[in-house]
Amino acid sequence: MAQKDSIHLNPVTVYGYAPERFMSGLKVQKIDSAALEQFRFRNITDLLSLNTPIIIKNYGPGQLATVAFRGTSANHTAVLWNGLNINLPTLGQTDFSTIPVAGFDQLSVQYGSSASIVGTDAVGGSILLGSTMPQAGLQIMIGRQQESFRNSQMQATIKYGTSLSNKWIIAGKTAAYDSRMNNHYPYTERNKKIMIPSETFQKGIVQDLYFTKNKHQLSAHFWLTDNQLTNNPEIFTGREFTGIKSYRSMLRYQVENWTVRTSWIRDILNHASGDYSKLDHAVTDRIGARIERAFEWKFTNLGNIQIQAGGEFTHYITHFTDYEKPVTTENREDLFLLTRWQATSKFLVSVNLRQAFVTGFNPPFTPSLGAEYQLIQTNVKSLKIRSSIGRSYRVPTLNERYWKSLGNPDIRPEDGFNKEVGLEGKHISNNINAFTASVTAYHNRINNWIYWNPSRNFHVENLQLVVARGIETQIGWKGNWTIWKAGSNLNYAFTKSTQEKVYDAYASDKVGKQLSHIPLHSGNINLFVQYKQIRFTNQLQCVSKRYTLDDHAQFSQGYILENFLAETTFNWHGTAASLQGRVNNINNSFYQSINGNPMPGRSFALSLLISLKTDNHTL
Amino acid sequence: MKKQLFRILTITSISTVLWSCNQSDPVPKGTYVQGVFVINEGNFSQNNGMVSYFARESKTADADVFSLVNGNALAGGIQGYDIAGDHGLILVDNSAAGQDKIQIVNANTFVSEATINADIENPRDVVAVTNEKAYVTCWNTLNSDYTYPVGYVAVVDLTTNKVIKKISTDKGPEKMIFSKDKVFVGGYEYGAGNKLTVISTSSDAVLSSITFKSAPNPIGVDANGKLWVQAGIELFRLNTETFAIETTLKIGTDTSKTPGNFAMAPDLSTIYFVLSYSDANYVNHGATYKFSITDTQVNVTTPFVNRIFTGLAVDPTQGLVYAAVTPSYSQSGYAVRYRGDGSLVDSVKVGVAPTGFFFKQL
Repeated sequence: MAQKDSIHLNPVTVYGYAPERFMSGLKVQKIDSAALEQFRFRNITDLLSLNTPIIIKNYGPGQLATVAFRGTSANHTAVLWNGLNINLPTLGQTDFSTIPVAGFDQLSVQYGSSASIVGTDAVGGSILLGSTMPQAGLQIMIGRQQESFRNSQMQATIKYGTSLSNKWIIAGKTAAYDSRMNNHYPYTERNKKIMIPSETFQKGIVQDLYFTKNKHQLSAHFWLTDNQLTNNPEIFTGREFTGIKSYRSMLRYQVENWTVRTSWIRDILNHASGDYSKLDHAVTDRIGARIERAFEWKFTNLGNIQIQAGGEFTHYITHFTDYEKPVTTENREDLFLLTRWQATSKFLVSVNLRQAFVTGFNPPFTPSLGAEYQLIQTNVKSLKIRSSIGRSYRVPTLNERYWKSLGNPDIRPEDGFNKEVGLEGKHISNNINAFTASVTAYHNRINNWIYWNPSRNFHVENLQLVVARGIETQIGWKGNWTIWKAGSNLNYAFTKSTQEKVYDAYASDKVGKQLSHIPLHSGNINLFVQYKQIRFTNQLQCVSKRYTLDDHAQFSQGYILENFLAETTFNWHGTAASLQGRVNNINNSFYQSINGNPMPGRSFALSLLISLKTDNHTL
Repeated sequence: MKKQLFRILTITSISTVLWSCNQSDPVPKGTYVQGVFVINEGNFSQNNGMVSYFARESKTADADVFSLVNGNALAGGIQGYDIAGDHGLILVDNSAAGQDKIQIVNANTFVSEATINADIENPRDVVAVTNEKAYVTCWNTLNSDYTYPVGYVAVVDLTTNKVIKKISTDKGPEKMIFSKDKVFVGGYEYGAGNKLTVISTSSDAVLSSITFKSAPNPIGVDANGKLWVQAGIELFRLNTETFAIETTLKIGTDTSKTPGNFAMAPDLSTIYFVLSYSDANYVNHGATYKFSITDTQVNVTTPFVNRIFTGLAVDPTQGLVYAAVTPSYSQSGYAVRYRGDGSLVDSVKVGVAPTGFFFKQL
C-alpha cells in the first residue's frame, strides 16, 4: 500500500513548515501513511478517536464534533494546516466533522502545551495537518465508498511532478471530495431513545503547487471546503441548518535561510432554522504574513544549534450582525524565537520564546523549555527520556469578546502552565518483531479559564481555574514474516481534569469534580493480520463514564466500540485497485452523543479506490 | 433492579386487586401516593429535564423518578405536571422539532402508561379538568423568526389517550387556572399575546377573551371566588362570571422589574411572588414578596425572602413555602422550604432548573 518504489523529487530538504523540529521534550505522534490510507474516506474524528487518546465530543453522525485533548475544552486544541492555525476565529475551535482525511497528506498529533511554537489555542495539544510534495510522474486516484444509511463518499486525486529543462521542478496535487450522509436509519429509536434525523453534505477541493529550483522553493496551497448540515430535514418548521464554508490559501517562498509566507482564509458560517430566508451569517477574513530566518551553528564541543527567529502578522475582519459592531477588525502580531540545541548525540534541548500582541488583549509572554536524553541507543534498543515545561495562552475568541449581549470585551486571555515527563522505548528482535512503548505523565494548570457562566445568564467570564493531569501509555508490536505480517497497538489514557476555584455559593457543588464530557479512562486497541495483500484489522475503542452535568448528577454510560476491516489490493502494471470492507460498531453497542441522542448501531461500508500511475521517472 | 421493581409492582397490584374485593374504598398503593413532585425544566439543549420526588419529611429527593421507575429518561425539558384521576400527565418539550409529548404515568407508581405525541407542539401547562379530561396549553411551532403563532389548548381524553380537540387561543398561551366550570388561559410574557382566554370545560369552547395591555398571567381564584391576574406591573381582580375587572393594584412603580412565579397560599388569601430585574450583564436580581387579597397596595419594600427563585408554591398540607433555586443549567437545583414568616426550614437537592411543584395527598 505504501508507495515504496518511487523517487522523491527532493529528499534532502525538509519541505514546508516543520514545527516538530523544535518540539523536543514534547510528545509528538506521527500518524503513519498506512493508517491515513485506511481512513481515506472518513473524517479525522474517526482517525483520532481510534489512534489517539483525544476525546471527540460528537453531536451525532456528520454533526458538530469538537475535541477534548488531555482534559481541556474544545477551545484548547490548535489545528494547523501547513503551519497556519485554521481554528474558526469566531468560535476559537474547529468542527472536526468538517475535516475529511482526504483533505491532507500528513498528520501529526502533538500532546500538551506548545504555545511557544504554535501560538494561541495550543493548550491541550495541537493537530498538525500538512501537504506533501508529490513524487515524480503522474498518479490518478479515484474512489468511492458506499455505506449503510444511504451514505456515500467520492474522491478523485491527481498528483503530478516533473522537472523542466531549466532545472525547475514542478509538482502538484489536485484533489476533490464529496460526501453525502443521508443517515436514513432503518430504525427510529435505540434503547427507547429517538434517533434525531440529520443529513450532511460535504465537498471540497485541495490544490497544492510546488516550484523548486536549487535554493528556491515556492509553493501555493488552496483548500476549499463546504459543509452543510441539516437537522430534522423533513420538518419544514423545525429543521435546522448549519453551513461552514472555508476558503484557505497560502503562498510560501523559501530561499536559503529565509522563509516568507502569506495567507488568506475566509470562513463563512450560516445558520438558520425553519425557513431559510433569514440566515444568521458570519464572515471572517484573516490575512496574514509571516517571515522567519533560520540560523545554524556547529560547534566542536558544544554540538549543533539551530535557531529560527521570526514574526507573524494577521489582520482579522469579521462581518456579523450579532456582534456589537457590524464589522469587527483586529490585528494580531507574534514574535518568536525557537532554538534547538543538539548538545551531544544523546542530549537535545529546545528553548522557545513567543510574545503575541492582540489589539487590546495582550497575552502573556510564553517561554518553554524541553529536553530529551537517550538513555539507551543501540541497533536493537533505544530508550529516551523527555521532559518539557512551558506556558501557554489562549486569545479569547471573537464571540467571547464581541457578541452583543453575552460577550465580554474586558475578558483576559487564558494562561496555562504545562509540565510533563515521558519515556519512549523501542526494541527490535531478530528483524521480525519490533516493540514500541511509551509513558507520559503531565500536569497542566489553566488559570482564567473562560466560562460562559450558566449562573450569570451565560455571560463570558474568566471564572475558572482548571487543573488537568494524567498519564498516557502506548504499547505497540509489529511482526514481519515476509508473507505474513501482524501487529497491535494499544493506547490508554487516564485523564483527571477538575475545576478548582469557588466563585459562587453553588460552585462548591462542582469544585474538584471531573469536568463534564471528559472520561477518566479512555483507550483504543488496534490489531491487524496481513497475508500477502489481504489485511484484516480490528479497531477497538473504550470510553468510560462521562458526566453530563458539572455536579455529576447525570452521566452517560461508558461504552466499547469495535470495528472490523478487511482490505486487499490488486495490481496490474501500475494500476492498483484497493478494496475495503468495513463493519462499524460490530457489537451494535449503544452509545450517546454529547447531547444524549443515540448514535447509530452496526453499519457497513464498502470502498474501492483505483489508482493509475506512470512508471518511475528518472529526473 | 428493573425486574425486581416490576415484580414488586406486580405483587402490589395483585394484592391490591385481591384486597379491593372486600373493600369498598381502597387507598391507592404505590411509592408515590403522597409527597412533593418537583418539575425540573433541565438544560434545553441537553433534553435532561426530570420530575423529582421527595416525601415531605425527607431531606433527599429522587432526582429523576421516571427514569428510576421506567429505566428510560423523559428526553426533554419538563414544562408541567398534573394528575387526572390516577393518571399523571408530564409535559415533555424536546429541543428537536416533532419530539414533544405528553408522558402519561400512573400517578401512584409513576409507571409509564402512554405517550401522546400528535398535536402536541411546545406544551406549556397542564390542568386536569375531570378524571378523564385534561387541558394542555401549546405554543405551536414557533415561526422561523422566533415569533409566536396563535397557540391552542389541546383537549386530552385520558380514556383513549388522544387529543380530541384543539381550542385556538391568543399567541403564546401559557398558564391555566381551573375554577368550577371554566379554565382561564394566560399568555407568555414575550409571546406578544395580550388576551386572557376563558374556556368552558363542559363545551370545550371559548366563552370569552379579555384583552389586557400586555400578556395576562392568571394567578388563582381567591377565598371570595375572584380571579387574580397579573399583567406587567399591575394586578387585576376579576369577577369570574362577568369577567369585569373589579380592582387594580400596582406592584411598585419600577417597570424595569418583572413580577413572576405567583403562588397562592392554601388560605386563598395570601399571594407570594418574585420581583426581579436583570442588570447590564443580564444577571437577575430581586426579592420575593407577599401580599393579602385585602391589601390596598402591594408591599414591595419589605421582602418575604430577600432572594429570587425560579419557582414558588405553597404546600396545602403544611403551609410551607417551597422555593426553587437554579444555580445554573449545568448542575442540580434545590427546593428550599420556608415557613410563612420567611424563616428558612431546609433545602433539598433536586433536578436541573426546578420551576414548579406538585403536592400529592392521599
